Amino acid sequence: MLNEKRIILMTKMASYEENEGKKNIPAGRYFRGDYIGWQVLKSIISASIAFVVVFAMYIFYNFDTFMADIYKMNLIEFVRDILVRYLWVVGAYAVVSLVVYTIRYNRAVKSLRAYQLSLKRLADMYKQ
Amino acid sequence: MTTLLVIKQILMTLYSRYEVYITPFLKFLLALITLLLINSHLGYMDSIDRMTVVLIVALMCSFMPMNFIVVVAALFTLLHLYAFSLECAAVIGAGFLLMFLLYLRFSPKDTLAVVLMPVCFVLKIPYAVPLVMGLVGTPVSALSVGCGVVAYYMVHYVTQNAAVIAAMADQETIARFRFVIDGLIKNREMVVTAAAFAITVVLVYLIRRLSVDHAWMIAVIAGIVTNIMVLLIGDLMFGTNVGLLSVILGNIGAFLITLVLQFFVFNLDYSRTEKVQFEDDEYYYYVKAVPKVTVASPDKKVKKINTRKPKSGQRSKSAR
Repeated sequence: MLNEKRIILMTKMASYEENEGKKNIPAGRYFRGDYIGWQVLKSIISASIAFVVVFAMYIFYNFDTFMADIYKMNLIEFVRDILVRYLWVVGAYAVVSLVVYTIRYNRAVKSLRAYQLSLKRLADMYKQ
Repeated sequence: MTTLLVIKQILMTLYSRYEVYITPFLKFLLALITLLLINSHLGYMDSIDRMTVVLIVALMCSFMPMNFIVVVAALFTLLHLYAFSLECAAVIGAGFLLMFLLYLRFSPKDTLAVVLMPVCFVLKIPYAVPLVMGLVGTPVSALSVGCGVVAYYMVHYVTQNAAVIAAMADQETIARFRFVIDGLIKNREMVVTAAAFAITVVLVYLIRRLSVDHAWMIAVIAGIVTNIMVLLIGDLMFGTNVGLLSVILGNIGAFLITLVLQFFVFNLDYSRTEKVQFEDDEYYYYVKAVPKVTVASPDKKVKKINTRKPKSGQRSKSAR
């Protein structure tokens, strides 16, 4: 015998798993710190690659000047300057991604709680 | 109006019934249009500038996720540019990489706007994208639209200056590289357009969320006015040479497109608005409910007056 209420609940849950749940369920498997930390680490790697790309283009653009000045310039000062810029860029990007992924994690946990509740209701229906 | 609503109802029924086929077909169509436009505007690499290749790749896109179209479009663009000039491919490839690494990682859902923006630019309806994204997206869509504008202008710059870049073939690589970078960085039109579109997306989003009657219509009109104003102010300040007539005509076209969108997504009957108040243990609720305009699709029944004559074989069988 078909149980209409159970079918409606299961359809809603399947729809959640297929759409919103696709990214929320993996997030729910992590602890808060682990999830956010992992995402921020990925952001740092992305920002580092982006910085290297921009820096390489900058050097290539100013190649003549750079090659002419390379023996005159204070290389330690130059490297320090680049490192400071790198830290600013990556730091700012990491803070932005920290905020974004904290909000996303909180939302995911909230919606997963509702999903867990539906699972519990479904289990109760089977017990009846 | 009733006929239109009936057509809408029929279309929605058809879509829900044949969604399995319609969605891949629409993806195929989008991929096909995008790749054909790329080939017609760039078309430097003969091996991918063929209808068979385009059809096969578009067919692949039809059953892959939507973001695959973005990757394929970027790949086609870079391959054509590589065949034309390594420097152009390097600069534009770096631009695409930066967009992907810094922004599109955050909102993979919005990547479609990045493809739609250049496509709409070529089809002369770019002003529709910020309005539509403001209506159906979020404020973050402003960044996607901005990325789309940058992607279009990067490729547009190369196609416009193709003759100059080709003439620089005997010069050093660095000189060509500098020429491309300078052209992109100093492109004021690109900056002004990206800013105008981003502001439009945010403004349209903010207004359409207001709890006022005809919020979508007000949002679209405000978005159009803002878009025109920012583009004109940009023209005055930076001399971007924006054609007033083309901007106005483009925005009228965008307005018509948003009307169609509104008809399908947000067609409300404000005359039947209901305002109710109730409370529970924790909250007091002020609810405004606006019904959608709907009509029941006519249920046509074919009544057979003449009964079908049995076939000769059946007749002889029954006679036996």
